[in-house]
Amino acid sequence: MRPMLTATLLAALIAAVAPSAAIGVGSAVSSEELVENPADWDGVTVTFEGEAIGEAMVRGENAWIHINDDAYTAASVEAGARLSGFNAGMPVLLPAEAAARIEQFGSHKTQGDYVKVVGVFRAASPEQGGEMLIEGDSLEVLRRGAAVTDPVMAWKLWLGAGLAGGCVIVGLLLQRLRHSI
Amino acid sequence: MLLRPTWDDHKVVGMYAGRIVLGVGLLMAIPLVTSLVFGEWDTAADFCIGLLASLFTGLCLQVVFWTRKRLARRHGLVTVAIAWLLGTLVGTIPLALSGHYGSYADAVFDVMSGLTTTGLYLIQDLDHIANGLSMWRFVLTFAGGQGIVVIALTFLFRGSGAVYQLYSGEGKEEQLLPNVIHTARAIWVISLGWLIAGASLLSVTGLTLGMRPDRAVLHGIWMFMGAFSTGGFAPQSYNVIWFHSSVYEALCVVIFVAGSLNFALHWAVWHGWRGELVRNIETRSFASTLAVLSVAAAWALADTGIYGDWVVLFRKGFYQLVSAHTTTGFATIYSRAFVTQWGAGAMLITMAAMAIGASSCSTAGGIKGLRVGLITKSFFGEVRRVISPESSRVTVRYHHIRDQILREPVVRSVLTIAVIFITLYAVVTAAGVFAGYPVDQAAFEGISAASNSGLSCGLLSPSSPDLLKVVYVAAMWLGRLEFIAVLALAGWVWAAVKGR
Repeated sequence: MRPMLTATLLAALIAAVAPSAAIGVGSAVSSEELVENPADWDGVTVTFEGEAIGEAMVRGENAWIHINDDAYTAASVEAGARLSGFNAGMPVLLPAEAAARIEQFGSHKTQGDYVKVVGVFRAASPEQGGEMLIEGDSLEVLRRGAAVTDPVMAWKLWLGAGLAGGCVIVGLLLQRLRHSI
Repeated sequence: MLLRPTWDDHKVVGMYAGRIVLGVGLLMAIPLVTSLVFGEWDTAADFCIGLLASLFTGLCLQVVFWTRKRLARRHGLVTVAIAWLLGTLVGTIPLALSGHYGSYADAVFDVMSGLTTTGLYLIQDLDHIANGLSMWRFVLTFAGGQGIVVIALTFLFRGSGAVYQLYSGEGKEEQLLPNVIHTARAIWVISLGWLIAGASLLSVTGLTLGMRPDRAVLHGIWMFMGAFSTGGFAPQSYNVIWFHSSVYEALCVVIFVAGSLNFALHWAVWHGWRGELVRNIETRSFASTLAVLSVAAAWALADTGIYGDWVVLFRKGFYQLVSAHTTTGFATIYSRAFVTQWGAGAMLITMAAMAIGASSCSTAGGIKGLRVGLITKSFFGEVRRVISPESSRVTVRYHHIRDQILREPVVRSVLTIAVIFITLYAVVTAAGVFAGYPVDQAAFEGISAASNSGLSCGLLSPSSPDLLKVVYVAAMWLGRLEFIAVLALAGWVWAAVKGR
């Protein structure tokens, strides 16, 4: 019984000492939480989820990617999302081969892949010039991105045509004024 | 006696403002072409509407206020203030149509921020915007840095004389050449020379950093425009963090320091007078305050212990500080990191750097190094006067393009502007506090807006109170035009109502 009790107490102690590590790995942490409380999360292994944005910048064996976990991860404004504030996210430095799993990066014409990264959060990494980042160990694509269409609205064409007509008329009037005595 | 402006006076102001609005509209051709190249058809339609609406407004103003009377001294400043307001309103159209703004007022905020080279923004979902829309943000900030009047003078005006009032109304007083229109063109020659060199270097660096070729080139052009105009807009929400490169950061520093220097200094160096860089009171003032503030910031940051070694501390601390001092607003840290990592001491030093600002007759804002230098010279001159024998005559000299004697009216003028700036900083800080924000953050964001810096500590967001946004827009406008043109407009309106 005694070793059993010791093991139980030890497990309870570990759980009490490292709660943030347990929270980080179990459920995805938000960039807002990391930015607001960087000291609390520094060095903790976290799970981070969001939309891959822009591109992967491969530097040797590693690559930089940017994961946004804001309100536009499912659909951008172009794809019909409601305006919900600024973008928010976190840079991730991870092995280039892991970054290569991302096929679509978010842009005006694309909704990026929704990915899950597990890695260590650094509040100010000395190796990376003091940057706040996640040193990713693994990456999993949870949902593939897709192309976004943003068709021209007909009323804009009509408005443009009306304004062009207006410009011609006012421009002719101005010419007449210039040439009048 | 207060003289009421005549209808003829209004006509002159309206017609010339119309011509400048026309100039702002023509600039939209650049993002329009960008959208067409990248097949962003809806964005292209937005720019067609914006361009045509600007042309229509500019032409209408010229027809309604048609006159053959020439611009006189009393019209210049009022014309500039009105042109900036109208230019902002028409420049907003494509942004407002993009669907990325909560309201037209939010889009107005961004255009004013761009034109005044501030860099604070309210655009939402920035990371998904079209290339054309992004191009417009940077064209606004680049054009605003040189001055929209400078653009109009370059392409749409002839003659000289009273148009100097238009030029000086934008906070520029130095004439590089005897003719003001030639001066405006010289400013463009300098800026375009830097654009070609700077954008090329940044694009090549972007490629070596692993960026896609098209993105490397676009980011190179945009980051140059943001840096040289000391604007601070960046194409991604991560700002300069996006690049993760000390080389890219260093290039940006060179470009925004260059942009923050007086165009007259550029002109002097361009013509081989390199000694001017060392002798000029502005560069000396800037170097002195930067050195003092850098040491102070290093001390404050070392005290927090967030950056383990001195190299890292220098890279982060110096970058943010130079960005603040040149009123650029580029950042290699998260906005909220000023609060959650840097703390009150380092924030205060950054605020001081933003408040002072960089050179006059440059793209930068703030009180300006020239004024700080002259006030310091005047102060030490007074000290010398006090300790010298009564019979002695103390003359204070300074070098700014040429050797000059510091005279009483100049001191009075620079002190007046400095006091107005400090008052404005106090007012915007108070506005933030009344809106419910902590005083340090309210001061940081307010000074950033009024000095046209653009660094943010995360206070401003699309959900901020509308009244605070209006205060910031007014502060950006006042700070960029250095009050005189805006006060002239207020005086014009007052005279129109109360004058005889």
